[in-house]
Amino acid sequence: MNTAGRLSRAGHAVAGAAARSGQNILTAFAQIWANRGRSFLTTLGVIIAVTAIITVVSFVEGFGRYMTNMLRGYGTQYMIVWPDISWEQEITGIGRIIMDERDVEAVRTECPDIQRITPFLFTETQVAYRKSSAKQVPTRGVTEAYQVIRNYYVDKGRFFGPMDVEKAADVVVVGRSVLKLLQCDESILGDFVQIADRRFRVIGILEPKGSFMGDDQDETVMIPYTTMLQMFPQMRTTMRFLAEARSEEVIDQAEAQIRRVLRQRHGLTIGQPDDFGISRQDQMLREFGKVRTIAASVLAGIVSISLLVGGIGIMNVMFVSVSERTREIGLRKSVGGRRRDIMLQFLTEAVVLSTTGGAIGVAIGYVLTHMAGMHPQMVDINVPLWSVALALGFSAGAGVIFGVIPAFKAAILHPIDALRHE
Amino acid sequence: MRRTRKRQASRREQRRTATFLQRRTFWHDGQSAMQDTREKLIEFRDLQKIYRVGTELVHALRGVSLTIHQNEYVAIMGPSGSGKSTLMNILGCLDIPTSGSYLLNGTEVSHLSQSALARIRGRQIGFVFQNFELLPRTTALKNVQLPLMYAMLPRRRQRALAALERVGLADRAKHRPNQLSGGQKQRVAIARALAQEPDIILADEPTGNLDSATGNEIMSIFDELYASGQTIIIVTHEPDIAQRCHRIVTLRDGMIASDILSERGRAEAAPEGRPEFAPAVGAGA
Ligand SMILES: Nc1ncnc2c1ncn2[C@@H]1O[C@H](COP(=O)(O)OP(=O)(O)OP(=O)(O)O)[C@@H](O)[C@H]1O
Ligand SMILES: [Mg+2]
Repeated sequence: MNTAGRLSRAGHAVAGAAARSGQNILTAFAQIWANRGRSFLTTLGVIIAVTAIITVVSFVEGFGRYMTNMLRGYGTQYMIVWPDISWEQEITGIGRIIMDERDVEAVRTECPDIQRITPFLFTETQVAYRKSSAKQVPTRGVTEAYQVIRNYYVDKGRFFGPMDVEKAADVVVVGRSVLKLLQCDESILGDFVQIADRRFRVIGILEPKGSFMGDDQDETVMIPYTTMLQMFPQMRTTMRFLAEARSEEVIDQAEAQIRRVLRQRHGLTIGQPDDFGISRQDQMLREFGKVRTIAASVLAGIVSISLLVGGIGIMNVMFVSVSERTREIGLRKSVGGRRRDIMLQFLTEAVVLSTTGGAIGVAIGYVLTHMAGMHPQMVDINVPLWSVALALGFSAGAGVIFGVIPAFKAAILHPIDALRHE
Repeated sequence: MRRTRKRQASRREQRRTATFLQRRTFWHDGQSAMQDTREKLIEFRDLQKIYRVGTELVHALRGVSLTIHQNEYVAIMGPSGSGKSTLMNILGCLDIPTSGSYLLNGTEVSHLSQSALARIRGRQIGFVFQNFELLPRTTALKNVQLPLMYAMLPRRRQRALAALERVGLADRAKHRPNQLSGGQKQRVAIARALAQEPDIILADEPTGNLDSATGNEIMSIFDELYASGQTIIIVTHEPDIAQRCHRIVTLRDGMIASDILSERGRAEAAPEGRPEFAPAVGAGA
């Protein structure tokens, strides 16, 4: 036999196999469509599993990206140091001094790897302007260093300077959302507002920051911490502060230096626990990574349970399909269908069924993600391509795994028995 | 492997033409050597089929020996339960005998593997069933293409259309079974059996579900196929149908009770107007 002949015969065989798998897929779709009600119900498990994969992955990815960007934007070089106090003491201010300005001063002067530091006082106050007023406005008492550490800049007017802090000047920098609450616009600049019954001159307006995790970053006012201490003297003994390291590389050293200075100043001996806490931004990123891992394992749990349920549904409907079509199987065998042909046909049907369910799940996932993305407060989310591939892969795999037994049952039917089947 | 199959196929082709010619010569010469000059297609030797139902053994076939040659037109008759369908199923490689030997085209098939039997069913045998067995929701054309797909033959569409043409249903190619009459369904089934150009067409009561007029139409198609050289075996209960074949094999209790030429067979075998010249065929049990 010449090569051309052999090639053309091989070509026929390949074309034949292709035609057969094409035919199998068409048959599968026809079959699924003919029984669309029951097919849909049996694929619900797969649909739910895939919808879960798509939406959860999209959300986690979207939030992850958002968090990372956000935290990077806020700087990953700084840490927050806070006194470890009871609620009681925090509220009443009664008790021993745990952290005060002298601690902050010591850290500033004794920690070589700290380049900026600011006390950080926080409370919620009532802010009034002319006829309008806003309750529970987040109020921060800081120094000029705060804007650099946290990238909180003003775009109208100015931030308060060292002199304002030293004199405990009655000046305030307000966020854009506060303007809205006070029903005024940028003309408030230079005017006076009432904060907890004290008159402040508005000297700057903060640039818009948007919201972070549903928390409006622009709904804030900032005043010199010295002024705030005059208004709330009990804060003097439990002062928090923000410290910025020289670079991301030396955060560990900077943290160790703060710890050493504070322990020494607080007279803690070896073995005694810290009476303060240090929280780092890069740690928050790491924490968030853990949250992601947990979300992933919860997702894996949901997905495997619903895929299992969906797979059993598919197995069940395939058994029904095989027994309904026993005569067809007999006929196919009598016209030359081999066991493997029958096996492949039913396996194809199971895979087409589950993958169709998967595709529906992907579509629903897309719609849900898109709808969630339309919410104005929502972070930017989209469906990662790999999650689609993963979801479709999983559903096809479920089709293979749960289709094998029914397909095998069909394949080993005796042609005569099958044809005689009522 | 493929080469042998190809050679076999062309040999089959030659044989078919040859036997056709032989038959012609035979008519003219009035020789009685019909059984000896045609090539043996099927050879059963002492075939037994025993079914086990619970603890009972059912002897469906008890020692059947039968030889069928190229381009024979055979009717198998017998009372219900005599083993006709069992015999046909073994003939069609849908089932294997409990004992005995079955040579198809000189090859022993009673010990072949499942997939080898499937291959034979797909390429050498065309089955026609009493209740048509068409795939529902599938066009006539697609139904006819089914065996071609399993045999991985090229030009499936053309072949299927040609087969539908032969049974006079080319204009119904796109119809689904529920859009066809019983006779048309059976014609589609015959086209499906024909499409793969099998060595033998086996029909188990092909007119059993049809009225006699439609049954006659179906028989006319078989007549034409026979005239073009096809080997055909038909199981029937109706003597009229059996008389349209050339040879009538009668089963009783799983054994061959008689094996004779029909009137038509005798008429065609004998020289013009002298039916007494007809040879007695086979050996009845
Ligand atoms: N799968 C089977 N299991 C057990 N017994 C069987 C089976 N198939 C056939 N038989 C028995 O074998 C015998 C022959 O059956 P078969 O179907 O060949 O008869 P038949 O001649 O075709 O009858 P009919 O004219 O009614 O179609 C019967 O006694 C039947 O009961
Ligand atoms: Mg029968």
